[in-house]
Amino acid sequence: MKTRWIAVALIVVAVVSLLYIYQSAHYENVLRITTTTSLYTTGLLDKLADAFKQKHPNVLVQFIPVGSGEALRRAAQGDADMVLSHAPNLERRYLNDGTLKTGRIFAYNYFIIVGPGNDPAGITGMEPLKAMAAIYTAGEEGKAKFVSRADNSGTHARELMLWSLAGVNPSGKSWYLELGSDMAQTLMVANEKGAYTLSDIGTYLKFSSRLGELKPLIDKGDVLLNIYSVYVVNPVKVPAVNEKLAEAFMEFILSEEGQRIIEEYGIAEYGKPFFNAVIGGPTEKLNDAWESMAELGMS
Amino acid sequence: MWQEVAEVVMRSLLISGMATVLAASWSIPIAMILTAKESEFRRTLLDVANALVAVPTVIIGLVLYLLFSRSGPLGFFGILYTPIAITIGQAVLITPLIISLSASVLRETKSGIWEMAVSIGATERQALITMVTESFPRLLTTILVGFNRAIGELGVALMLGGNIKGFTRVMTTVIALEVSKGEFEFALTLAGMLLLVTFTVTAIVRKVGKIA
Repeated sequence: MKTRWIAVALIVVAVVSLLYIYQSAHYENVLRITTTTSLYTTGLLDKLADAFKQKHPNVLVQFIPVGSGEALRRAAQGDADMVLSHAPNLERRYLNDGTLKTGRIFAYNYFIIVGPGNDPAGITGMEPLKAMAAIYTAGEEGKAKFVSRADNSGTHARELMLWSLAGVNPSGKSWYLELGSDMAQTLMVANEKGAYTLSDIGTYLKFSSRLGELKPLIDKGDVLLNIYSVYVVNPVKVPAVNEKLAEAFMEFILSEEGQRIIEEYGIAEYGKPFFNAVIGGPTEKLNDAWESMAELGMS
Repeated sequence: MWQEVAEVVMRSLLISGMATVLAASWSIPIAMILTAKESEFRRTLLDVANALVAVPTVIIGLVLYLLFSRSGPLGFFGILYTPIAITIGQAVLITPLIISLSASVLRETKSGIWEMAVSIGATERQALITMVTESFPRLLTTILVGFNRAIGELGVALMLGGNIKGFTRVMTTVIALEVSKGEFEFALTLAGMLLLVTFTVTAIVRKVGKIA
């Protein structure tokens, strides 16, 4: 008899939970954004979303943090209204096939090449491309290691671009470690192994207290420019896209208020801003840099 | 912070609890059918279930993702990146586990109780019911193992839920996220919570099993 009561109780719990889940699944205004992890883990996006929600209280902004490549692919599958990405050459591909409507640059910063403090390849002060070539040479001589994200993320795409611009191909070498992990994990592996790696500045700053062995060795050069763009998914190509809401959020990110949030983010905690804003629209230089990087990916 | 932790814990319990109830509701009857009579076919099915226990969670996540995606065959339901998707995924994930464990429980009780029941004149149907009620506490344990597997898995929750804050973020996905943010202390706190929750649930269910 008691067994039966337990069964009844379980069924009641099941039905109630189902109702709860069903109800919470049907918010009226849901904006679904796939985003590069490096942008999300800094915490900036939650801050932008909170400010946006004060103006649009009924809107639910949902971020799905994955690598840039994955973010774009999922959008193409129809599982997002909006994409935040930092991989111009990948973005160009999805612009060409019509998945994305024209995008806008909303922030930028620089990639940095980090490595062990004693710098076995001697890259300190070099141009980024010369440095990549020097790491390659030192790797071949058995003096240096390089850790690669190898996860089709924006950072990974850039790293491959740097190797090919430097005219070398490290693929398959024993000193070239391909991880398939996120930026944080990759930095920690580089730290443990005393290896070089390419990182976005935001993730490196957040982690720097845990990365005792690593030093930021190169942080200048146009090829290290890291450009973040926002795209609305094309409703013609992918039906069921919440276009109106996506455009409202895009406008907000590009507005003066949104840009101020981006510009100031990280100063209070780390002394340095994580991102540079593009108040009044991106400069000619930024647009050109985006174009040339998008072109490189096509070849 | 504690409010968010409480919310995530509740959500995890709800999603994985639902998944367990769902999975048990079809897995135990299947186990009963598979053990009721010996035959080559049923043995093969049981072997298949045993093997499927080893399927990686991300594979189940991936297959269901492709089904539930807007461009997938079940896309029109629009359940990808909702708690329902995680519930279904976890239910599928633990189905072979519950079938496999409860089949071995039932088989053991069968050799004793079933034969005794039949020998004192019970019909086959009555013998089956006796067998299930007699092994109820142990079946509960198998369901519990299923629940613990569901609440502790990451792959399905990440692929099907998308780790959306305040919506599909469960304990394991928060832990993964906090590690990638460098918040190791917070991740460890949550890991402690996860263990605490599974211990508590195990204790409660054991108690209930004894009373019943």
